[in-house]
Amino acid sequence: MNANSRELLKRLQPLAALALIMVALSLMRPEIFLTIGNLRNILLQISVNVCLSIGMTLVILTGGIDLSVGSILAFAGAVAAGLLKDGLTLTFFGVALQFTPFGAIVAGLIVGFALGWFNGIVITRLKVPPFIATLGMLAIARGLTMLWTDGHPITNLGPVFGFIGMGIWLGVPMPVWISVALVLLFYVVSRNTTLGRYIYAVGGNEKATAYSGVNINRVKLWTYALGGLLAAVAGLIITARLDTADPKVGNGYELDSIAAVVIGGTSLSGGRGSIFLTVIGCLIIGVLNNGLSVLNVPAYWQLVIKGLVLVAAVAADRIGAKEN
Amino acid sequence: MRVVRWIIALAVAAGVCWLFPLFHVVPLQAAKAEKAAAKFDAAEFADTFWNKRLLPGLDKTVKADVLLAAIQADPAAAKKKFARSVGFSDAYFYFVSGTGRVVSVSDDGVSLAITPGSTNAEVILLAGLIFGDAVRDGTGLLNGSDYSNSQDFNDMSAALDHLVETRVLPGLHEQAKIGAEISFAGCAEVDDEANDLKPLKVIPIQTKTR
Repeated sequence: MNANSRELLKRLQPLAALALIMVALSLMRPEIFLTIGNLRNILLQISVNVCLSIGMTLVILTGGIDLSVGSILAFAGAVAAGLLKDGLTLTFFGVALQFTPFGAIVAGLIVGFALGWFNGIVITRLKVPPFIATLGMLAIARGLTMLWTDGHPITNLGPVFGFIGMGIWLGVPMPVWISVALVLLFYVVSRNTTLGRYIYAVGGNEKATAYSGVNINRVKLWTYALGGLLAAVAGLIITARLDTADPKVGNGYELDSIAAVVIGGTSLSGGRGSIFLTVIGCLIIGVLNNGLSVLNVPAYWQLVIKGLVLVAAVAADRIGAKEN
Repeated sequence: MRVVRWIIALAVAAGVCWLFPLFHVVPLQAAKAEKAAAKFDAAEFADTFWNKRLLPGLDKTVKADVLLAAIQADPAAAKKKFARSVGFSDAYFYFVSGTGRVVSVSDDGVSLAITPGSTNAEVILLAGLIFGDAVRDGTGLLNGSDYSNSQDFNDMSAALDHLVETRVLPGLHEQAKIGAEISFAGCAEVDDEANDLKPLKVIPIQTKTR
């Protein structure tokens, strides 16, 4: 078997794993698992993780990690909900800004992008390791969310805003449309743009990329900023879907997101992987979550099984890297 | 070239914002007035509901002697016939009225014997701090799906409980003398059939001495 075939086989592993899990669940509980409603449910449930995981893939491709996506998700959603519900009072000017749903969405996206950008600045300019920088942001963004909301959920956000989370178009929920659009967009960005090429190059060999004249700090900065922006999209979707900005939402989402990326076959050391494989990773986690519930596996065992799958995926990646 | 690209991007952004405004600027006073008008006033709602719907709606109660006899005979059948439940909760409610003789009094409750000649506490009228959603959910006069904001619906329940504490309980404490005969109407929540049915714990909405 030559190197190309081996590489192709390796890329097909996540897809084969997904197919195997789906066939097994279909055989065990066909009357529940194989219904259109259940499959649509799986897609709806993974849409938030897909948005987060696209950003996480870009970050991991550069050899970094972003632990703050769950907190950024919560803060972006809370900011959008707060502005939509209560507006912004500018006492000094004697006026208040009443935000439209579109304005609230834009504000949420800007907040996510800005926090991601801040992560990038801390990592590239202050040379703080990504693990620590984003761990700090995890706490900062969660604290800001609590301050912004006073620790209380912001509810009743209206049908226009709610459409991005609860709307249905052509029989498919809006969160699914949004995640599909983002997958296609960022697949093109990662494959066919200069930034995308640089992201792979930085992760593959940072030194060589720097020597060839690429501003690697700028690439990393944009990667973390896009990660923040995508976390904000996820935050807006979940806020709209629940019709509530819950300040505690998103706790632990970074783990699901990292798991999806790794299970999809993206290398934790960077430079290898793809957005589509990450989507497969999200599907594996989503189908596993759904299937274990369908099979009435207790919630604590579900965590154990998910953890084992993650460890197995990383071990496979490491063994593969050693062989290469 | 880069400057031109930035100018084009800003022009596009400005155009989009002109078509779809991000926000509206309003004077602070007008914004405050609008916010106050839009805010759900749970206390005011509860007061209106109490006077215009709850008290006139007391004729929808099941008589306590009928209910207690039904529970004694077959709790499941009594539940099926007289109880009301909300959503997927296992808890259920009885909207009940009757007359009973006071057999014991404490800060937390007034125990009544309902069956003629009985000296056992068959109903306890709760007389301490009132918690839970029995008054809101037990009458069938309010439907959660009519209220899109669950926080408003929760506030409504707390406001109704507060009305019980301030309007009903002071009178009940005065009326509660051993041997006195009290007519009551109220809601009973049954979470745990072993403890909540015998005696039936009722949050009073109206009490009178006879």
